[in-house]
Amino acid sequence: MNDSVHPVLKIVVALILLVIVAPLVVPIMMAVSDTPNIVFPPKGFTLRWFGKVLTNPEAQASFGFSLQLAAVVTAASLLVGVPAAAALVRYRVPGRGAVLALVLSPLVVPLIVTGVALLQVFSMLGTHATFVQLAVAHTVVCLPYVVRAVTASFMLADRSLEDAASVLGAPPLQVMRRVVWPQVRPGVLAGAVFAFIVSFDDYPISMWLADGDHFPIPLYLHALIERSFDPSIAAISSLMIFFALMLVLVIEKVFGISIARLAT
Amino acid sequence: MAATPSLALYAAPGRRYRRPPSLPGVLMLAPAVVFLLAAFVWPVLNMVMLSVSQQVVDGATVDGWTLANYARLFSSDLYLRILLRTLRIATLTSLASVVLAYPLALAITRGGPGLARIVTITVVAPLLVNVVVRAYGWTAILSRNGALNQTLKMLGLADNPPQLLYTEWAVLIACVHVYLPFMVMPLATAIGRIDRSVEEAARIAGASRWNVFLRVVFPLSLPGLSVGISLVFSLSAAAYVTPQILGGNFSPLLGTLIEQQIVSLSDWPFGAAIACLLIAMVLAINLFFLKLVNRRLAHWTTGTR
Repeated sequence: MNDSVHPVLKIVVALILLVIVAPLVVPIMMAVSDTPNIVFPPKGFTLRWFGKVLTNPEAQASFGFSLQLAAVVTAASLLVGVPAAAALVRYRVPGRGAVLALVLSPLVVPLIVTGVALLQVFSMLGTHATFVQLAVAHTVVCLPYVVRAVTASFMLADRSLEDAASVLGAPPLQVMRRVVWPQVRPGVLAGAVFAFIVSFDDYPISMWLADGDHFPIPLYLHALIERSFDPSIAAISSLMIFFALMLVLVIEKVFGISIARLAT
Repeated sequence: MAATPSLALYAAPGRRYRRPPSLPGVLMLAPAVVFLLAAFVWPVLNMVMLSVSQQVVDGATVDGWTLANYARLFSSDLYLRILLRTLRIATLTSLASVVLAYPLALAITRGGPGLARIVTITVVAPLLVNVVVRAYGWTAILSRNGALNQTLKMLGLADNPPQLLYTEWAVLIACVHVYLPFMVMPLATAIGRIDRSVEEAARIAGASRWNVFLRVVFPLSLPGLSVGISLVFSLSAAAYVTPQILGGNFSPLLGTLIEQQIVSLSDWPFGAAIACLLIAMVLAINLFFLKLVNRRLAHWTTGTR
């Protein structure tokens, strides 16, 4: 039934896709323009704006900081989230429904609100450890992604295989490693990838907690947009777009995770 | 892990195997629960408290139960305009997303594997591009000498086209771009679940394509549509970066207002009240559509209409 997509519908879809791609293509075009200001259509061709951005110590520091933060947040989310997901599916725990609602609730409350609520609590407590504050705040919103992905894979895992292994005399650790882990690995991986992306891209939480020495890349980009007028802003945007495309490839081809799951 | 031998499970198939609460289970769950109670529930409740227990009068914070912070939001023309703008942008973003999402969702579910894959990737991949970069891309298109106006001039369609950047239109366009995936994917899931034979039956019985869509596909896709609308409305009502970059200071939304009150004016109680209003809006829209799906749409989708 491939004919069920009418040609007119195909044209409409193509136009919409074009508009979706436009704001990602235009910055790349502008980034190679050999002019002191951002112009469209671009004039000439140069890669010097990319050079300028790549050698900028502030941009490097910001990028490095975001990677570091996202790595810590991903580790923390897995450490707390994977056992929780296992317990929710495999063990009889009191208040299962309420716990699940609690774990998923950070997805409902607007991020900007979660951020400001945490800022208030942190300032009441009088802590100044910015990195810890950012890591705690990001973990709150990354945890639900991990729990959701891992619970799904635990529910798909076949429990009778574990029982069979135990009955046949495999010690619990070996059952874990050889039977449970291979089945839930895709879920853990998906959770880790989503947690990393959510932390790395976060703006509305970081904006409350960051300071000059702890300045995630999204905040840096926003500051750059407001104060610079040469094509270097287009260049750094292009780099971020290439970085995202690379991520898409890695996630889909290497990890075998469908990125469509990010939007559900 | 397999702490309890579950042979009893097989003895009574279909029945839940009753056990007392398991200690390892509770211990595995405890860190997540304690962490979220301390780092999420407490801060949010604390903020709700703050919004009704303090107010700022002439620059000084006054303690005492009050609803003044909420009253202020509705009594000032300025704040009311921002509230209405937020509702308007969130509503229009949802509507525009619905209109754009149907063709995309149909292409994903009915368009064969090649087309489905291209559409899915193109729709979802932008989610991995930082939201600041996506907003910047739109400023490059919508500014006075941006890509859109230059293209219009080159094609001779307009001599001196107006600037869309820093208007509500720019905010709306970028919000639709950013949140569209959250409409397309639930919709595609719902349409994908529709039994093809129902559509074929309608076609054989002589219904036009348009009528098949209107009378079969559309009603059966409503559960997915509800999920999509709640997501897009919630996300766009609370948007901060996108309106900030594309609307400038000319069309702030509630998110910007929270930031201004707290960062620039240090009026924590009022900022907290706006934040609570935002939570209330998001909860209301989610509960409304959840109820709608459960009650009204249930008998549509099970075919007992």
